[in-house]
Amino acid sequence: MSVNTIHDVEFGAELPVFEPDTRIENTMAFAKSVGWGGPRFEDHEGARKEGFPGALVPGIMGMGFLTSAIHSWAPNGNVEHIDTVFRAPMLADTPAIISAVVTDIDEEEGLVELDMTVKNTKDETRVFGTAMVRLPLE
Amino acid sequence: MVDIDDLKTQYLNNEFDRKDFILSSDRLVIAATTSGEKRPQYVDPDHPDFQATPAFLCSLASGRHLPIDFPALGGVPMDGGKAVECFAPVRPDIKLTGKTHLHDIYDKKGRSGRMIFIVVRLELFDESGEHLATTDSRLVIREK
Repeated sequence: MSVNTIHDVEFGAELPVFEPDTRIENTMAFAKSVGWGGPRFEDHEGARKEGFPGALVPGIMGMGFLTSAIHSWAPNGNVEHIDTVFRAPMLADTPAIISAVVTDIDEEEGLVELDMTVKNTKDETRVFGTAMVRLPLE
Repeated sequence: MVDIDDLKTQYLNNEFDRKDFILSSDRLVIAATTSGEKRPQYVDPDHPDFQATPAFLCSLASGRHLPIDFPALGGVPMDGGKAVECFAPVRPDIKLTGKTHLHDIYDKKGRSGRMIFIVVRLELFDESGEHLATTDSRLVIREK
């Protein structure tokens, strides 16, 4: 369910689950678009030669997934601040699930605070963070 | 063992890097769409409010991470996380300037030793000097 104004938001509400596209073709395209090419992002075998368990999803792409999940939930919202902690690498071609919960609401200012996580299908947290989102008052 | 207060006194809040950028619409669209973004102001260059996503802004912080005379602490810096605060839309095809300084240095002690956290802050301005966004990159170094 999406929200349009600050008054649609409920404390403790969970955002709809967002499943990002982590296929290597997609994550590689992101990496190249931000100038971060190289084996660790483009090729599983090349990444293993660099000591990684497989090709990586760029850390900031995790942030991109989180903001896309927010925009999907709040089409009129603006992400004013987002802070992400890279707890463990996200791997390309490995499904991920994004979840988020409303932890604070300022109805006068139109601000919502969210706690967010990116987990893999083993329920292991890869990225977590918080976001401050401004929503219309009316 | 490095004294964190000494590092803070010597290095915090001194600009050590300045770089100009011009963002291309094509790259902004790819970064947005691959992230699952659907909003036209991020994926349609013809939209009147077309702009960079917050995550794209964090990519501008790559490059020189620490002042050239910053002491070696033993370990290789790891990317511990990123944050971005948006003040105004960041558009393509205009000159942008990123000014970088160390915003914070702190440590945490764990079973495997001391970890040092360094927050590298990039402030992004347009040609009129308007402050558009701030990105923070947290570097984590395991002290040796």
